[in-house]
Amino acid sequence: MKNVWWTRARAAGAMLLLLFCVMQQAASAPAVTVPPLEFRERVLANGLRVVTLEDHTSPTVSVQVWYEVGGKNDPPGRSGFAHLFEHLMFKGTKYLKAEQMDRLTEDVGGMNNAATREDVTHYFEVVPSNHLERILWAEAERMGNLDVADENFKSERAVVEEEYRTRVLASPYGRFYESFSPRSYAVHPYKRGVIGNIDELEAASLDDVRDFHRTYYRPDNAILIVAGDFDPAQLDAWIDKYFAPIAKPATPIPRVSATEPPRAREARYRETGPNVPLPAVALTWAAPSARSPDAAALNVAAALLGNGESSRLNQALVYRAQMAQEISFSADLRVDPGLLVAYAVAAKGTSPDALLKALRSEIVRLAQKPVPEAELAKVKIQLLTQALDGRQTPMGKADALGEAIIYRGDPAYANKELDELMAVTASDVQRVLRKYILDAKEVTIEYVEAGAKKS
Amino acid sequence: MTRLLALAAVLAAPPLFAQPYDKPPPVGPPRPVTIAAPDVATLDNGLRVVVSQRRSLPLVTVELVIRSGTETDPRDLAGLADMTATLLAKGTARRTAPQIAEAAEALGGQLDTGAGWYRTSVSMTVTRPQLAAALALIAEVTLTPSFAQGELDRERKLTLDALAVALRDPGKLASFASDRAAFGEGTYGHPAGGTPGSVARIRRAAVVAQHAKYYRPDNATLIFVGDIDPAEARTLAQSAFGAWKRPAAALRAARADDAQAAPPAPIVIAMAGAGQAGVAMTAPSIARSAADYYPGVIANTLLGGGYSSRLNLEARIRRGLTYGIFSQLEARRQAGVWWIAAQTRNESAPELIAVVLEELRKVAASPPPAEELEARKLTMIGAVSRRFETTEDLAGTLASLEANGIPVAEVTATIDRLAAVTPQQVVDFAKAHWGPEALAIVVAGEADKFENALRAAYPGLRVIPHDALDLDRATLTK
Repeated sequence: MKNVWWTRARAAGAMLLLLFCVMQQAASAPAVTVPPLEFRERVLANGLRVVTLEDHTSPTVSVQVWYEVGGKNDPPGRSGFAHLFEHLMFKGTKYLKAEQMDRLTEDVGGMNNAATREDVTHYFEVVPSNHLERILWAEAERMGNLDVADENFKSERAVVEEEYRTRVLASPYGRFYESFSPRSYAVHPYKRGVIGNIDELEAASLDDVRDFHRTYYRPDNAILIVAGDFDPAQLDAWIDKYFAPIAKPATPIPRVSATEPPRAREARYRETGPNVPLPAVALTWAAPSARSPDAAALNVAAALLGNGESSRLNQALVYRAQMAQEISFSADLRVDPGLLVAYAVAAKGTSPDALLKALRSEIVRLAQKPVPEAELAKVKIQLLTQALDGRQTPMGKADALGEAIIYRGDPAYANKELDELMAVTASDVQRVLRKYILDAKEVTIEYVEAGAKKS
Repeated sequence: MTRLLALAAVLAAPPLFAQPYDKPPPVGPPRPVTIAAPDVATLDNGLRVVVSQRRSLPLVTVELVIRSGTETDPRDLAGLADMTATLLAKGTARRTAPQIAEAAEALGGQLDTGAGWYRTSVSMTVTRPQLAAALALIAEVTLTPSFAQGELDRERKLTLDALAVALRDPGKLASFASDRAAFGEGTYGHPAGGTPGSVARIRRAAVVAQHAKYYRPDNATLIFVGDIDPAEARTLAQSAFGAWKRPAAALRAARADDAQAAPPAPIVIAMAGAGQAGVAMTAPSIARSAADYYPGVIANTLLGGGYSSRLNLEARIRRGLTYGIFSQLEARRQAGVWWIAAQTRNESAPELIAVVLEELRKVAASPPPAEELEARKLTMIGAVSRRFETTEDLAGTLASLEANGIPVAEVTATIDRLAAVTPQQVVDFAKAHWGPEALAIVVAGEADKFENALRAAYPGLRVIPHDALDLDRATLTK
């Protein structure tokens, strides 16, 4: 699916990067060895978890800080706040002026950006490696000394509101994608999504900013990842110098304790928006956490259904039936229970009901009939190749380690994931689809142009 | 908990809660990015083979480049080059479309086919053991496509549906319309993928003729980037493409038809319910071969490339008008396109346009301060350098040089050429090419929220209702 991560800056050509990183991987017959990510890990006395990976392929280094806070931690009445806050982390600290992070990165041939998801906020830079010490200083500075002026807070909040308008209001299917979480969760704060809404963004204040920083932006709630061209002893000394002085607060870190109850019943919703030339439909089901032993099989099932031109949904709905112009199936696995989401945008002349029927029947077919071995091998090498492709750069390697920590609690999982996916069998695929789809309650969403007749 | 309390009590001064250093530490000695010149060879049939070897991962990108693209579209068949490229993967003498997709993805990669303005690419990224099979598949679809009528019909329907969606997105719509307003019915006036009218007109015979004319070994380059050495690559290229015959007659050069009327007065496309206004401003610009190409790239970076450009600084960072505003100089083989685009609240569209014109005026008025220019040059140099880091990006960079007729060895000099641009060259470029009168300005959005304010600035403003728009015509109306 469109896994939009709300980001600080929009991509434009080659100038800025938006990451859509596929993390799954697998291998089958072909004799390719994926070199393991050789990382080192330690924890500072203040609780900061540090993972480093030396790689001298290019004279650059990626510095990343992953904070375990995201949209699910938005304060009450402040939907969208974690993402707004992410933007404000570029707006000044005790010793850094607003936008000075850009001076330290873009202006010297590097880049920076940040992204907020439901569970995590991810800040990342790539710089020529002779600038590494400065970036460590700057990341430590905004972890410990954030200081945003009111004027900068207000102008950046207006930017975030434009981001909301661009992605949700102006994009023909923006409202459709944004409806998935609210319609799929009953209790868990995942139901609010990440971007929030204009009213609650407008309600945010500088006091909220200070509270949020104090509560979540602390060394014992962060992971520092450095990958690329560095000297390990020198790097360790710099990390100690800049990060060790940051105090670990005595207060506990608030965690989301809500438990999403099992869905009691199926439900169907009709959403509308302007400028929707063709209807769209979605089906969602409750998924387990990313740490579930079923995660690998669900990722393989998702790839069988939606990864590439030859995937089941593309072949059936787009190619053969010509009922859809676009399809997607994703296992959106999160720290807490996630979602399985199938969606399709109709081809001209196809009704939402017909499209739903076709979408559902293709998924049920995979659940009921064993997948041929050759097709299983195909998705495994697809996932393997995508993983290798994503690890060509220091940033790609750091991303893989960060994902492994956030979603599996262990950077070493970046190296184990491949083995887990390789081990998935045809019967595993059937078993998880039965458990999470056939024997579960589905939510149906239909999206049509406002003012259109009911189907 | 008690230990922490005790510790706090012992300290007379407030404890350190943060890192205490008040200035950024110094930078170390420079670590310049270097890139080796690719290996270049030519097969007997004229096919050029370009190889850039890197051994870090068992991965290879292979890209066949046809050095012609969308700029060859006949005037009434916009989208023909892209449709032809798309249909390559939809059936050959040996395989159906689903069989091709299956074969490609069983190698782990994805078979990408498509046309850009001046080049057409057929490419895959695969692990090293799959390379020979991937190359054979690329050769099969390039040399023996069947162009079945049923596949053309299917692809036409998909393209028309995708266009119907794009035309309801104010940003995309404004860009399509401003290209047409800037170039009229000239070569670069149409959307690369075609218009609703032109896509409906594409017939099989035109696709077959497009393929016969431009897909020939002396108009193509095969690029390998990754885990392969030049000798192996040449052997693979010979076995996959050695039998490809070069036609006796030379390829006629693509038409250079740039009917560039002076741009019309600003245009509003009235879209009920648009969640934002899409603002696009487009003008003809320089070709890739122009002597001032590198100054143009840097001038554009200063104006609207990257996050800290002057446009983004003023419109986003200072005024909060937009999530991002960017400009781009697309220097193509025969001419170029220069565009500026952003989305903003409907009510803010007039202010956004005024900001752009004021920043343009400033760039042309005086040379940029040395410190600012240095930073923006490094921004661009960094972006270029990062495109050397992955096999796909480097293959794309080499493909672009090849298709523009520039020796690929230039890739080794790119960074130096960007670094050599002077403040005076930037101001000279802006004066020569960036008169605000050259820009075709289009705003797509809820017209009643900005039309009056815009008309005050532009009395000649033309408002076109969304349902009266015709992207096939220079006038943009039916």
